[in-house]
Amino acid sequence: MSSDVIFQPLRLGSLTLKNRVLRSSLAGRFDNYDGSGTPVRINWDVKFARGGVGAIISSNAPVHRRGRLVPGFALIDRDDRIPFFRELGKRVHEYDCKYIVQLNHAGRHRDIGDLEFPKGLSSTDRPEPIHGFECERMTRPQIEETVDAFAQGARRAREAGLDGVEVAGGNGVLVTQFLSSAINDRDDEYGGSLENRARFALQVVRAIRVQVGRDFYVGFKISVDECMNEVFPWLRRGNTPADSVQICKWLEEAGVDAIHITAGAAFPHPRNPPGTMPLRDLVRTYDTIAASGRYTFRNYVAFRTWPFSSIFRWQWERPVRRVGAEGINLPESRAVKEAVSIPVLCGGGFQTASVVANAITSGACDGVTIARSLLANPNLVELWAQGYDRPPRPCTYVNKCLANFLEHPLACYEESRFDSHDEMMREALRVYETAEGR
Amino acid sequence: MSSDAIFQPLRFRSLEVKNRIFRSNIAGRLDDYDGGGSQVRINWELKFARGGVGAIVSSWTGVDERGKIVPGFASIETDERIPFWRELGRRVHEHDCRYIVQLAHAGRQRDVPAVTFGTGLSSTSKPDALHGFEAERATRADLEAIKRSFASAARRAREASLDGIEIHGANGYLFTQFLSSAINDREDEYGGPLENRARLLLETVEAVRSEIGRDFHLQVKISTTEHANAFLPWLGTGNTIEDSVQVCRWLEQAGVDAIHVSTGSTFPHPENPAGEFSLEDMVRTYDVMLSSGKSTFRNYLLFRLWPVNRVMKARWERDPTQVPGRLLPDARAVKAAVGIPVIVTGGFQQASLIAAALERGDCDAVSIARGLVANNDLVELFRAGHDLPPKPCTYCNKCLYNVLEHPIGCYDERRFPSRQAMVEQVMSVYEPAA
Repeated sequence: MSSDVIFQPLRLGSLTLKNRVLRSSLAGRFDNYDGSGTPVRINWDVKFARGGVGAIISSNAPVHRRGRLVPGFALIDRDDRIPFFRELGKRVHEYDCKYIVQLNHAGRHRDIGDLEFPKGLSSTDRPEPIHGFECERMTRPQIEETVDAFAQGARRAREAGLDGVEVAGGNGVLVTQFLSSAINDRDDEYGGSLENRARFALQVVRAIRVQVGRDFYVGFKISVDECMNEVFPWLRRGNTPADSVQICKWLEEAGVDAIHITAGAAFPHPRNPPGTMPLRDLVRTYDTIAASGRYTFRNYVAFRTWPFSSIFRWQWERPVRRVGAEGINLPESRAVKEAVSIPVLCGGGFQTASVVANAITSGACDGVTIARSLLANPNLVELWAQGYDRPPRPCTYVNKCLANFLEHPLACYEESRFDSHDEMMREALRVYETAEGR
Repeated sequence: MSSDAIFQPLRFRSLEVKNRIFRSNIAGRLDDYDGGGSQVRINWELKFARGGVGAIVSSWTGVDERGKIVPGFASIETDERIPFWRELGRRVHEHDCRYIVQLAHAGRQRDVPAVTFGTGLSSTSKPDALHGFEAERATRADLEAIKRSFASAARRAREASLDGIEIHGANGYLFTQFLSSAINDREDEYGGPLENRARLLLETVEAVRSEIGRDFHLQVKISTTEHANAFLPWLGTGNTIEDSVQVCRWLEQAGVDAIHVSTGSTFPHPENPAGEFSLEDMVRTYDVMLSSGKSTFRNYLLFRLWPVNRVMKARWERDPTQVPGRLLPDARAVKAAVGIPVIVTGGFQQASLIAAALERGDCDAVSIARGLVANNDLVELFRAGHDLPPKPCTYCNKCLYNVLEHPIGCYDERRFPSRQAMVEQVMSVYEPAA
């Protein structure tokens, strides 16, 4: 099949991308602890712009200090962050690449809590089920404050001359914590029925629209199938595709320009990023968060202890064994696409041109978002343009990048993809090399 | 007692410092993972330059990739790093403060090994007793390369127009691993008698001198009493003050300009930084090191396990009232044996105690880390007539516990009107952003 369709421009509301490939949210702890951005992050994003993607979706940019996943990511919580994002956008635009900021609030999901706020906020006061991150149930004023923080974050992105925002609504972050029937246990107007659980997300979208107007891209990332029972069989499944399709219809009405498909009401999740569980790397790096949650130390011990480690891995890898990593979310994407008239972007292991082209022409999605495969091959789009169906050294979906990012620079840590360990390390550290002012 | 002695200039052979207070090695993971320096580190050092210290000794500055202690500290292993150090020095000099780079090699004592290397080099192939950091016995070729790394790093410090270097021979890092009778188990000319154990350090001094000449300030920091069995009673005691006095004499002969007295065969060590041991903070932050050594997981379990953790705490902790000036007897012994100036560290923050030590001739200067983290303007407070700062350092050591996961700063909430005020103080190192 021809891959021409990949290189057709993509209209997303008021925004037009040169092709159908977006770099999905992906970065390491490249910035300062206080949330100020650094030249390293600019190097990081420019690498993908240079490689030919149509747009970059930033790594999660917290709209409030309390909403950080982990220290070391640039925040967009104050107006004095704008100059950094303006510079980042300017550098990315030099490659005819658009820049979309992913606005996030982690809620209770905080891999490493920060100094200021010992506990995260959430729809509930129950700890997160995998790591046991503790949290505090949000009051109405806290909800209002957070809705406004999203809106102000979007305004800052626009003032910085960037091309749009994406609301992080999937993968277990705060918006998911409201949407999900497996998490939200409120009995006020923000909990209970699907309509109530969607209230917070819709308020966020509307508040953003008030701030940025109609002619600025606003996307929404959603975990269409939450599949929490795939993490631990004793957990409730959470939202089904039918629930999420309804939410997407409401989002469209509220003024969202595109839906970005992901899976799982937690991060990481067996379906996201889909692949294998790098136990050996986990033992080396999960220690960093051993004191972060109620169950983190238990997990760490389990990762080190046979047979628990093997059982954990077997359970984790089941969905991918069944359906494969590449295009794992296409059925859900298709379901959403059939229900809404706005464009649908789909993530999940893409790196084969024919698979992507087929997904688009068959109407499963309008564009794809890619994280790990671009990490492995930042020039993936160029390789496709040259006629490769798959890169010569494809991503192996071993997720070592993810396992390493808390302690080490985000990079591909799969040695089999390199000529030597030294070459791999040179690649990993290259992100620092061109830092300005050196 | 008058604090005038503190404000007398100190003349080294090729360096003059305006007063007798040095900021000792202390910093956080403020830089890039690869060792590239950042504005944040400049902000950090300027706090102390502005506060009136005569000189700043940089935090551990890695001379090669494998010898780095923790990622996130500016290093000096390539010429590309020189512009950063030049800028840092320029900014510090604006406050009439001297800048001395502490050249360090971790050996096996790497709290968080960089992803680039598996094991650390050491005198021995045995892991360290406390954390179980694994080690590879350095070959002669390794040692030659290390000496060259120090010499090149010293050249870079000079090219960056800084004021001197300190070779970190203390606190359990590479040179301690050679010097210490409790660690070094070699049978070649780098192990055995004291003369052999001191060989690597002396040869490194020689290599540095031949690279940078005689007229660039070079000091050596050494753990004069190692107390290697202070925590784990089954270990040997390690080097005594008599051993170290001899090493200091050899260092003077080799052309070292000053001795910096510290203590302990490891870092941290019950004697350095001496003070409290907070189990709660340990449980919260030691987790980062779980995969760093063979015994770290065991230690972490023990920190959480009553009553073993109480025993550990009791063995480690030192009475805070006994902390200031703890190393003065060692300084006096070194001072009596050498003709070069002696700098001593260890809990100083009281003007009268420092002035008395200077006037008695126990030492020529003091170096301060924690006391200055608590009060960046300590020297200005002395000048204004305070004997102790109104809110002194409590020796709680929370600055140290937090350093691997959080920014360096004072974490003793009791010293601040609110937690928010404490957090703001910690975060102030990020201002200005550029």
